[in-house]
Amino acid sequence: MIKLESAHIEEMRGIRKLNLDFRRQTFVISGPNGSGKSGVIDAIEFGLTGAIGRLTGSGTKGISVSEHGPHVDKTRFPDAAFVKLKVFLPELGKSATITRKVNSPRNPIVEPPDVDIQAALGQIADHPEVTLSRRDIIRFILVEPTKRSDEIQSLLKLTRLGQIRSALNTAQNKLQGAARAASAQASSSRETLRLHLQTPAISPESLLAAVNKQRNVLTLLPIEELTADTALDSGLSDTATRPAFFNKESAFSDLRALTQATQVLSEFAAAEVAAVVADLTKLEADPALLAALQRRSFIEKGLVLVDGPACPLCDTSWENEQHLREHLRAKLAKSVEAQELQDSLLRTGMAIAERVIRLGDTVTPVQKLAEAEGEDTFSKALTAWRSGLEELKATLVTADGLMALKDRLTGNWLQAPEMLAEKLRMLAEKVAARPDQAATVHAHTFLTTAQVRLSDYREALKREKAAKHASTSAKTAYDVYCRVLEGELNALYEEVQDDFCIFYRLLNEDDESRFTAKLTPSEGQLDLKVNFYDRGLFPPGAYHSEGHQDGMGVCLYFALMKRLFGNAFSFALLDDVVMSVDAGHRYQFCKLLKTNFPETQFIITTHDRLWAEQMKSAGVVSGRTSVVFNGWTIDTGPVIESNKEIWEDIDAALAKGKVEAAAAALRHHLEYVSRHLADQLGATPAFRADGNYELGDLLPSVLSRMKKLYGVAAAAAQSWGSLSDMSVIGQRKAALSADAGASNVEQWAVNKAVHYNEWANFGRTDFAPVVAAFRALLAHFRCDSCDSWIYVTPKRGAAESLRCSCSRINVNLKQKAT
Amino acid sequence: MTSLQTKIVEAFLAQLASSPDVDAAQVEQLGGLLAENKNPRPDDLVKIFSLPVDAPIE
Repeated sequence: MIKLESAHIEEMRGIRKLNLDFRRQTFVISGPNGSGKSGVIDAIEFGLTGAIGRLTGSGTKGISVSEHGPHVDKTRFPDAAFVKLKVFLPELGKSATITRKVNSPRNPIVEPPDVDIQAALGQIADHPEVTLSRRDIIRFILVEPTKRSDEIQSLLKLTRLGQIRSALNTAQNKLQGAARAASAQASSSRETLRLHLQTPAISPESLLAAVNKQRNVLTLLPIEELTADTALDSGLSDTATRPAFFNKESAFSDLRALTQATQVLSEFAAAEVAAVVADLTKLEADPALLAALQRRSFIEKGLVLVDGPACPLCDTSWENEQHLREHLRAKLAKSVEAQELQDSLLRTGMAIAERVIRLGDTVTPVQKLAEAEGEDTFSKALTAWRSGLEELKATLVTADGLMALKDRLTGNWLQAPEMLAEKLRMLAEKVAARPDQAATVHAHTFLTTAQVRLSDYREALKREKAAKHASTSAKTAYDVYCRVLEGELNALYEEVQDDFCIFYRLLNEDDESRFTAKLTPSEGQLDLKVNFYDRGLFPPGAYHSEGHQDGMGVCLYFALMKRLFGNAFSFALLDDVVMSVDAGHRYQFCKLLKTNFPETQFIITTHDRLWAEQMKSAGVVSGRTSVVFNGWTIDTGPVIESNKEIWEDIDAALAKGKVEAAAAALRHHLEYVSRHLADQLGATPAFRADGNYELGDLLPSVLSRMKKLYGVAAAAAQSWGSLSDMSVIGQRKAALSADAGASNVEQWAVNKAVHYNEWANFGRTDFAPVVAAFRALLAHFRCDSCDSWIYVTPKRGAAESLRCSCSRINVNLKQKAT
Repeated sequence: MTSLQTKIVEAFLAQLASSPDVDAAQVEQLGGLLAENKNPRPDDLVKIFSLPVDAPIE
């Protein structure tokens, strides 16, 4: 934290230009409402934090530091509005200046540019709570428990703790959801596996039983034990166990097709063969027809080979190629019968060829089957047959081929392998003996699928385990955090509560010395109840007066700040807060500051000048650490009267011949001094119901009271037999009477030299003696050591002593008991 | 000065480190996250808690 040494404020809020010397000490600014006191607080707060609390938060919509921070006449020149603070950093033992402009609130100029200083000032900038206003007090006391909790947690910088808890809670909820989803997925995967295995339940035994049954089908070794690495389909990739590309039904089909085709070979294309044979027989029986057919064939070849006028068949040269072609076509036209016969032969030959092609197609798969089944001889025979059929097919589609086939066609023209039917039957039996294909494929598929589903299940289990672990971790973290948070906060609130009670009891020790309070934290709220005269615990606003409630607010603030900063609580701005403390408890308030926060510098504003004087009397501040704002104008800002320099100011005015100004200053000074002394000494002016006491009412009464107190003191000294005290008191009383006579205060009503209404008409030489007389008179009421006004203690009841703040003046008023 | 927030986070991490339910790597990463001057996001926490057991810290 810091202590404030001085402040230079320009064009901020209601201030035009102002220098204040705080001297690292508690400082009081007093003055009537609207005199600019809070403007100083705003400026200091701005200088330290870059923000002004009064211009932010609820009810400040449309208000901003940038627009409303500068003096109203400088809103267009925000760079003219700035604050320069000289601060002392106790922890570093260093001083620094921080200059912050309204147009650049986030970029203050810090001198010297020391890293530690910058860090320390950065920390202060994060603590706007150094400023306490009456509005803040209400925030702590007269709010619902939830808002109080928020406010106090915000002040104590605990907001992030709540946000961490919230994030942890959200995370654990998410992870719990994920864990539930992972468990559901695992269950689903388990059920999917179970359904595949067709077992009532999943267990290693039931799984292995189902799997080994299928492995047995494939003659794979059984799996003895189910481990994390067990592969249910192990061995399936081996060639030996891989199902061949063999379709049993297809094989039977192929065998059936060939068997049926060759069942009665003699009848194979019998009609077509008979027709061909008949045609060929006819040819053999008619040589001319045969010759014509043969020539026709010859001529057809020649016609195809014609390439010029020379005949390709006999080399005869013709007139031209056209003539040769026409000659050959004429010869073909002459063998119509031969043509018809040839057509018949070719048509029938083609039909036979098609049958042979289909037969060949039925041979090939059976040949492959025979080969696959190891029937090599049969396979070769079929291969040879297949080749023979291929050749036959080519022969059947030409007339010459058919003529060459005449003898073959009348016998075993297909030339099928010997004992074909028997061999086909044997092959069929062999195929039939092979394992059932569906069982192996099923086993293969079963094992492959089982492995996939087992892998899925295992993965699902892994994910479930990971999700449960994550969920457990998150829940544990959340629970631990809540436990730690609750424990620390409870301890914190207990400490705050204790300090709060101590401070409040000190403030109200005359009537609430047994005050207690209870801060009860619960989920998201902080309940505060206070004891009311031993009648029980009640909300602060239930029975206590507003003044008492304000006192509670200040005490709770102090307790919170003590807890927040500990010994580093060195600075606070109290903006018109002490006004809330009623007159009867002000000295106690000063005592609270002095005894519990001796190292804390408070910058205090109050509109009650008497209160300011009381703080001086109590030694909280001195003439050097207090200032009075007498008024304010929009052009000048606060009008300051320095108590310390009042006589110098009056002398200066007189020196310039400004009697009127000097008279006004003296009048103001006498007004508040007489009011203050009347209160301090217990003077008894004529009672006024409106409390509107004038100088003429108060000052004579104060003088009278003082003389009476000296009389009481003399009597007390005599009762104690203290001749020296009697002598001192006698001297003081005599001096007071002399100076009172010089000022003619006792002649107030009749002497114009005393009555301020006449002062303005005096000349300088006339007024100087008046000033000197009052200055001498007031000196009797002030300690020249601590500069405080003297006061009677106790405040109520019989006076026991007359004292000053430093106790250099300590006059006994109590007589010895007889 | 040690803030209450720091105190609570330190106590939280210390207690968490002794819990069998939370891995050292998770505690370390949590500490890193909470040391940052910003509010942790739930998704960041989910990532940390979802770390594989004994996973190396990235």
